[in-house]
Amino acid sequence: MRRLVTSSLLLIVAVTALVPLAHRVEAQDKATEVTLTAANQAFSPAELRVKAGQPFVLVVTNNDPKKAIEVENKDLRIEKVVPAGKTVKIRVRALKPGTYVFVDDFNQAAQVKIVAE
Amino acid sequence: MGATFVVVLREGFEAALLLGIVYAYLAQIGHAESRRYVTLGGALAVVASVVMGIAVSALSGPLADIGPDVIALVVIFGAVALLTWHGWWMGRHAREMRGDLQRRIDAAHASQQLWMVGLIAFTGVFREGAETVLFLWGLMTQLESVSGWTALAGGAAGLVGAAVLGWLVFQGGRRLSVQKFFAATSLLILFLAAGLFSAGVGRLQSHGLLPGGEPLWDTSWLLDDHGGVGSFLAGLIGYRARPSALEVIAYIVYLAGAGALFFPSFFGRGAPRNGNVVEPAEASRV
Repeated sequence: MRRLVTSSLLLIVAVTALVPLAHRVEAQDKATEVTLTAANQAFSPAELRVKAGQPFVLVVTNNDPKKAIEVENKDLRIEKVVPAGKTVKIRVRALKPGTYVFVDDFNQAAQVKIVAE
Repeated sequence: MGATFVVVLREGFEAALLLGIVYAYLAQIGHAESRRYVTLGGALAVVASVVMGIAVSALSGPLADIGPDVIALVVIFGAVALLTWHGWWMGRHAREMRGDLQRRIDAAHASQQLWMVGLIAFTGVFREGAETVLFLWGLMTQLESVSGWTALAGGAAGLVGAAVLGWLVFQGGRRLSVQKFFAATSLLILFLAAGLFSAGVGRLQSHGLLPGGEPLWDTSWLLDDHGGVGSFLAGLIGYRARPSALEVIAYIVYLAGAGALFFPSFFGRGAPRNGNVVEPAEASRV
């Protein structure tokens, strides 16, 4: 029993230790930022354009005062919760030219098209 | 209501499946009293999920941007390690569970390892826990309207649905013969862990920490992984309609490597396959 508690705690410590490391990775990364806003069960703008072949950072602001959203694109393996009233940065890898549809997994009707060209 | 039901059911499904297997496993090896490890692991994970949900809502900046991703990766690879360890352990001890001996596994050895089963429960519940907490939290804040209540009812029904699935796995697993149960769960855990491992690799690609990511093939015309059966298989064995090359390699390498650990008798070393005959040497150990 004690070992279970200890190992859970160790896991949490390990995670906490990894966060600054990840932060450093982020700091080095000077990718372009693309902003997106969510409010009233929809994204705006409804379509975004990015450069193909270059990683970018999707900056999502959730303006809903109460509901969290989850920005998701299954093909890009992106699943990221944006709590109510918060802004979260999502790193997106370099994309091939094409259209990528992101949805709010908590409300599938809200969608945004990202066109890489 | 339907939508919130599906969201919560899907988030809770994997956790319920793992808990069902782990509880059935303890019943099978005659260690039902060790259920407290699993219950404690699951309960700790619920607490950790709530804490993480609050932390994600309260924090901002880089910690909120990257923290959840780092935690998700640690939990995914931690779960893979635990499941591998567990499958290996079951493979090694399968020979001790034949015939009359089946319920009398080496008690000292088993109890030494059972706290790990609690950790499996922890990772299983914590994996989608914080998301579910935030989602349900959003529903709770809308209770002033009728649609808010029906949405919450849908969410609650989703939790119940996931729990029923876990309970069915538990009941089904408990009734199988020990050999069948071990073979079935070893196989299931093998594919579940392979799916998780491949998903972890996919996430590393998605963050740009591993190269590539373009789909190697597309079977979404045959079975889409976004809904229904495809999404069920995605949670169960890591099915992807459009896997990347590295994800496919990770899946195959894991299956081959862990398969050899889980089923040693298939690979010519370890357990002799002589049915229910109990050897005197083994019988005297109990």
